[in-house]
Amino acid sequence: MGNYKIKKGFDIQLSNKPTIELMDLERPSIIGVAPLEYKGIRWRLLVSENDVVKCGTPLLENKLNEAQKICAPSAGTIKKIVRGERRFIESIIIAPDHCGEVIEFTKTDLNSINSLDREFIIEQLLKSGYIAYLIQRPFSKIADISLKPKSIFVNGMNTGPFQADATVVVNDATEAFIAGLELMKKLTYGKVHLCISDNAKGAIRDVSNVDVHTFSGVHPAGNTSVHISRVEPMSPTDIIWTIKAVDLVQIGKLFLKGTLPETKIVSLGGNCVKYGEAKHYRVRVGSPISIFADKIVGNNARYISGDILSGKKLEKNDFIGFYQSSLTVIEESDKRHFMGWAMPGFTRYSYSRTFMLSLLNFVLGRKRVKNILGESITRLNTNMNGSKRAMVLTGYYDKVMPLNIMVDFLIRAILAEDTEEAIQLGILETAPEDFALCEFICPSKINIQEIIQHGLDMVEEEGI
Amino acid sequence: MKFLLEILNKVRPHFEKDGKFKVLFPIFEMKDTFLFTPPNVTTGGTHVRDSLDLKRFMSFVIIALLPCTIFGIWNAGYQYNISNNGTVESEFPIRILFDFLSGLPIVLPIIFVSYLVGGLWEVLFAVVRKHEINEGFLVTGLIFPLTLPPTTPLWQVAVGISFGVVIGKEIFGGTGMNILNPALVGRAFLFIAYSKNMTGDVWVKLGQSNDIIQWCAKIAPKSITNLAPKYFSVRPTLLPVDGYTGATPLRVIANLQDGPTAVDSLAHNGFTFMNMFIGDIPGSIGETSTLMCLIGAIILLITGVASWRIILSAIVGCTIGGLLINKFSDSAAAQLPFYYHFVMGGFAYGTFFMLTDPVSGAATNLGKLLYGFLFGFLVVVIRVFNPGYPECVMLVILFMNIVAPAIDNFVVESHIKRRRYRG
Repeated sequence: MGNYKIKKGFDIQLSNKPTIELMDLERPSIIGVAPLEYKGIRWRLLVSENDVVKCGTPLLENKLNEAQKICAPSAGTIKKIVRGERRFIESIIIAPDHCGEVIEFTKTDLNSINSLDREFIIEQLLKSGYIAYLIQRPFSKIADISLKPKSIFVNGMNTGPFQADATVVVNDATEAFIAGLELMKKLTYGKVHLCISDNAKGAIRDVSNVDVHTFSGVHPAGNTSVHISRVEPMSPTDIIWTIKAVDLVQIGKLFLKGTLPETKIVSLGGNCVKYGEAKHYRVRVGSPISIFADKIVGNNARYISGDILSGKKLEKNDFIGFYQSSLTVIEESDKRHFMGWAMPGFTRYSYSRTFMLSLLNFVLGRKRVKNILGESITRLNTNMNGSKRAMVLTGYYDKVMPLNIMVDFLIRAILAEDTEEAIQLGILETAPEDFALCEFICPSKINIQEIIQHGLDMVEEEGI
Repeated sequence: MKFLLEILNKVRPHFEKDGKFKVLFPIFEMKDTFLFTPPNVTTGGTHVRDSLDLKRFMSFVIIALLPCTIFGIWNAGYQYNISNNGTVESEFPIRILFDFLSGLPIVLPIIFVSYLVGGLWEVLFAVVRKHEINEGFLVTGLIFPLTLPPTTPLWQVAVGISFGVVIGKEIFGGTGMNILNPALVGRAFLFIAYSKNMTGDVWVKLGQSNDIIQWCAKIAPKSITNLAPKYFSVRPTLLPVDGYTGATPLRVIANLQDGPTAVDSLAHNGFTFMNMFIGDIPGSIGETSTLMCLIGAIILLITGVASWRIILSAIVGCTIGGLLINKFSDSAAAQLPFYYHFVMGGFAYGTFFMLTDPVSGAATNLGKLLYGFLFGFLVVVIRVFNPGYPECVMLVILFMNIVAPAIDNFVVESHIKRRRYRG
């Protein structure tokens, strides 16, 4: 429908972007489920060690809504239940049996989705645990099924470095995606909006059963908050559900096949990935990230679930998460730069113009500088590049914020615990990820996403 | 640089939690991060961070201040020499070096005392509050002495910077929390408490000519003194130079009687537009040269450290104020062309280096425009209509610092209102 151009923001130059090539990976020897990543839900364990489970057997159920489960993504034997602090269940490890039994869910086909009723769809989503793919705004929490959303936003693009390319996933399972969109239409009383990149190619471009909007420009053009603010701005009492296109494909597969999908697509990228191995992979749901081990170079690497701006740090023995559709591996670095505050900085990456590299980029243009100084003279790493300081109103934040938000003052309101002002300043229209670029460029090295999350939690606790 | 890093790593345990000198950790940390960027890695949120930190951000202000500092040293020496020794006829490059060397013993002690005393307060507060030393002080410690006349007694420098750092900044909670520019708080304190030393004919260091010249001869490289022995020989006191008076250009304007035009009487006192622009006139150490301030401003604007909105709107405010006064007022002072205001007094220095302070200035984009505009406008109005205190830039900036939160509040409130009526 609409075509929107996002000007504020910028694209971080990170090398070794995943290509659109898709490869299959072998079956792993263990599979894990990590319930901690489901935000705000407390689980009751339904299985114990050495139990034999089918693909789709409930492992955990929501203590407050027993209809909501987490199911085993593969048949097999429960090998171990790992508990962490205060006996929280960290992960359930399954030794998969590839010929094991499968629990059947109700199967439909594309044409009969229209005749399904909302209660049935919700019930199946709860039973399979896939309801958790639907994220509710405000507060970015798992959708509350007792509410009917004003509209549903499907995010079919990605601008952060690096997220899985929605076009790759949708091309691979076009029918499931269309079915997913049809299902979404039954869940809202309003419209379903699909937001895609203006240079998207393939099947996602030809979708016609919902409203399609194209976005172009720099990151965060691919963030859901940006889509909502341009297409259908929220007021504080609105409820909107959001879902990523890659997750919607999984829901579509569940309804079309009648079983839990055994595979998902994960992209692999970052400067610690072997050259030529950065691409999309079809892996078993719940695979350990060690299945990528032979594609990683260097032993000092950081594994990130999601993109480098707001992803979650993983340990080497963690599993590919429920929400995870990309794995980024970058260099971990505590390297110290001699007199970093005074050196010209030909190799140091910055959004500001205070380093020679960024100044040259600004004056000569990125391409020419690349020709002069060579291809990848900067390697982005996890170095903090400075120490934490008091917040100084440099005005940098607003330069990368395409939403109508006064970032400095919103942060101040949250720090002062003034929830009313935070709401007035629009905190409910945002998610922490929208502030990731602000956090990246912050010279005081403040954890802005953490502050925003704290603000959202505060508002939620107090009620709007 | 590896050996330095090794030394630091070796010493570090003594300053950490269970070390002997754990109280002095802030000092160690300051030296440590002065030499090398810290080794911290990101902990979550964004996994990569921009290379810019506050240390580098602040150090650009210092770099931008260097032209003013160097010129200020030269000018202090130059003014000293022409008023004490008369004109020295000599070739161009040697003369400049000679004046610069004469300026060093006048200016360096002032800067040194400012850093030393201010630094002691900073360290004391950092140790007591157990936080790292903020680099904002490096800027305050240089901005402050450059606003002083070269004749300021060193004890006053110490008192002024103490007041600025403690009352102007630390009692509010330190860098980032202060509402006024600490350097100007110190300067205003000196101005009010010791006005005798801050106003009137105080702009040129007078005194025994011999000591400084001899000092120069002592420290100058042998090759130079051999080359030009006559410049470094002790000279008897010569006649005072024509054109030297104790009054600053602004004082001239303030004392203006009806009769000659403002431009003429300025020129009569030795202040043409050009030499007020270049800055070879008596005045506070860092502020006389608009040209040097401009070089600093260009550095700040190219690197994006200072806000172009504030600078631009201050210039626009000053222009509009000047033009309006030219049009509607008849007094001789009011007829001064508006562009003279840019080069007179501390306008350039104040606008570029102090008004743009991100902590005490307005923070919203619209607010910055208003803030700068009001500043420029007020400066002209007060200069022309208040002959009692023509050099008003300092107090106008402090006034604008106080008004800034109100301006921001106005902008934020209207932002909230617009959000409410949007849907």
